[in-house]
Amino acid sequence: MIKLTINGQPQTFEGDAEMPLLWYLRDEKDMTGTKFGCGMALCGACTVHIDGRPARSCMTPMRSVDGASISTIEAAEEDRIGAAVQAAWIEEQAPQCGYCQSGQVMSAIALLKEKPSPTDEDIDAAMSGNICRCAAYPRIRQAIHRAAREIK
Amino acid sequence: MKVLKWILLIGVVVAVVLGGMVIWTKVAPQGDDPVSPIAGIPHDMPDTMTRGEYLTRAADCFACHSPVEGKMLSGGRPFKLPFGTIYATNLTPDPETGIGNMSDEAFIAAVRDGIGSKGHEYPAMPYTKYSQLSTQDVLDIKAYLMSVEPVNKPTPESDLIFPFNQRWGMALWNAVFFENHRYEADEEKSDEWNRGAYLASALAHCGECHTPRNIGYATKSREYMAGTKVQGWKAFNTTSDGTYGIGDWSDEQLRSYLTTGHAPGRSSASGPMAEVVELSLQYMTDSDIDALMAYLRAVDPSLGGSETAVNTSPDSLKNATAVLPNSTSSQQRGKMLFEGDCAGCHQWDGQGRQTKYASLKGSSAANDSEALAVTQVILNGTSISIGERHEYMPGFGSIYSDSDVAALANYVVSHFGGKDGIVTAEDVAETRAQGE
Repeated sequence: MIKLTINGQPQTFEGDAEMPLLWYLRDEKDMTGTKFGCGMALCGACTVHIDGRPARSCMTPMRSVDGASISTIEAAEEDRIGAAVQAAWIEEQAPQCGYCQSGQVMSAIALLKEKPSPTDEDIDAAMSGNICRCAAYPRIRQAIHRAAREIK
Repeated sequence: MKVLKWILLIGVVVAVVLGGMVIWTKVAPQGDDPVSPIAGIPHDMPDTMTRGEYLTRAADCFACHSPVEGKMLSGGRPFKLPFGTIYATNLTPDPETGIGNMSDEAFIAAVRDGIGSKGHEYPAMPYTKYSQLSTQDVLDIKAYLMSVEPVNKPTPESDLIFPFNQRWGMALWNAVFFENHRYEADEEKSDEWNRGAYLASALAHCGECHTPRNIGYATKSREYMAGTKVQGWKAFNTTSDGTYGIGDWSDEQLRSYLTTGHAPGRSSASGPMAEVVELSLQYMTDSDIDALMAYLRAVDPSLGGSETAVNTSPDSLKNATAVLPNSTSSQQRGKMLFEGDCAGCHQWDGQGRQTKYASLKGSSAANDSEALAVTQVILNGTSISIGERHEYMPGFGSIYSDSDVAALANYVVSHFGGKDGIVTAEDVAETRAQGE
């Protein structure tokens, strides 16, 4: 049996340990905020935090999250930095179609937790793995800078 | 024309001298058959396996004799050598194209003496090592092969340049380089060490890839397991040398590498070594892994020709985190590519995100200035299946130019190994061509 915490709630899982975490979140827990993009950890749409580190849940088997603490987009607003990022996202109108955004937001939160005032170069290094098909990158960058100002 | 005459003359002289050596060298096999617990199967072999399957796994017949795509053991896999291409044969019991009609004697000759159904074999088939096997072990392997599903598939003809396409020439090669001798236990060493030696040499033939070869394409005994380039990859130094070999690996790291293909804080197996772990080593019992480790630990330190000193904590990684590199690099192109396509899984601190196999910190591959394995993996991806688990990385060869692969490989080596990468676009083109 796999034990894990999702957004602070203890959970147990007894199914196929090779099943990706993303399937568990979306299909079993009905937490559909995290998106399925490429299924190969190449696009970043499925980014969640595993023990505070951003990870691609589509390629993370359940066996590897035994004992782990998972945070998803559903709990972002409960976090001070998460709330600031979401507010900045709205202010800057960062999303266009919006499909990649939960992944973008989770990666942005991880970046700001580590570096509260990131440079453009930091943003590129931390966010390049999150692909936006609408190419809203300039607005995403502005939103991260805005959130950084807010959390100061 | 004068030059041609000279070459002819020298050729004749060499042939006469070597021919003489054939006559004077004992061609008959020497030594008694090794016995249990050195040869044969380990005491802790699970009931789910037959003797033959265990030994076939241990001898890793699967890796070479299975096609890249298709039925296991049905042959056809190409081996691109400097003098042409040869193909592994079909080992399934098909009477026409496999070993179905082969007598025990013929099978033993093919495995231990290097004499196959078409005449002399090329030493890509490690008969030079299998010659150490006991007769019983070879027959057990045959019994297992006869039990798999027959596949009717002819083995492609080898395509070698003259004079290498003359199989009889291998008789001369054998006269010089081949010692047809059964494994002889070293009485001064423990049974465990001897079992490890039998496993590593007679069965798993580790040295065939890990030992540098001389100009005659025979392995150099003084540089046993010192590491070398092979098939466009690097087989790393696995001697007990602390700096260049595995001398500083902990028992836990070594065991984990052999049984799962990943050593925490060190390397992950990719390419041909991933196949070795997947098809062979993961099936070895605890006692055999212990024996293999005892043997590897005792291999004399040697440097060979491809030194890679692994720096497990280079300056470039001192401040790196999962999210940010926190180091400056002049290699903008490589960094940009890593940022976009690689950091998502490998992470800037090289710890690996989705899977521990994605860790790069402390890996031999990321510490190799020639970045052979890194180049291969960027081009073609890599995968390994251990038990029920399947780990893989996709290849980027179809979307990256040669110069981009080189830039990325050099960046990986600089950031994760603290070394100056020397990969050029031409090197990448060569590696790419080799894989096609």
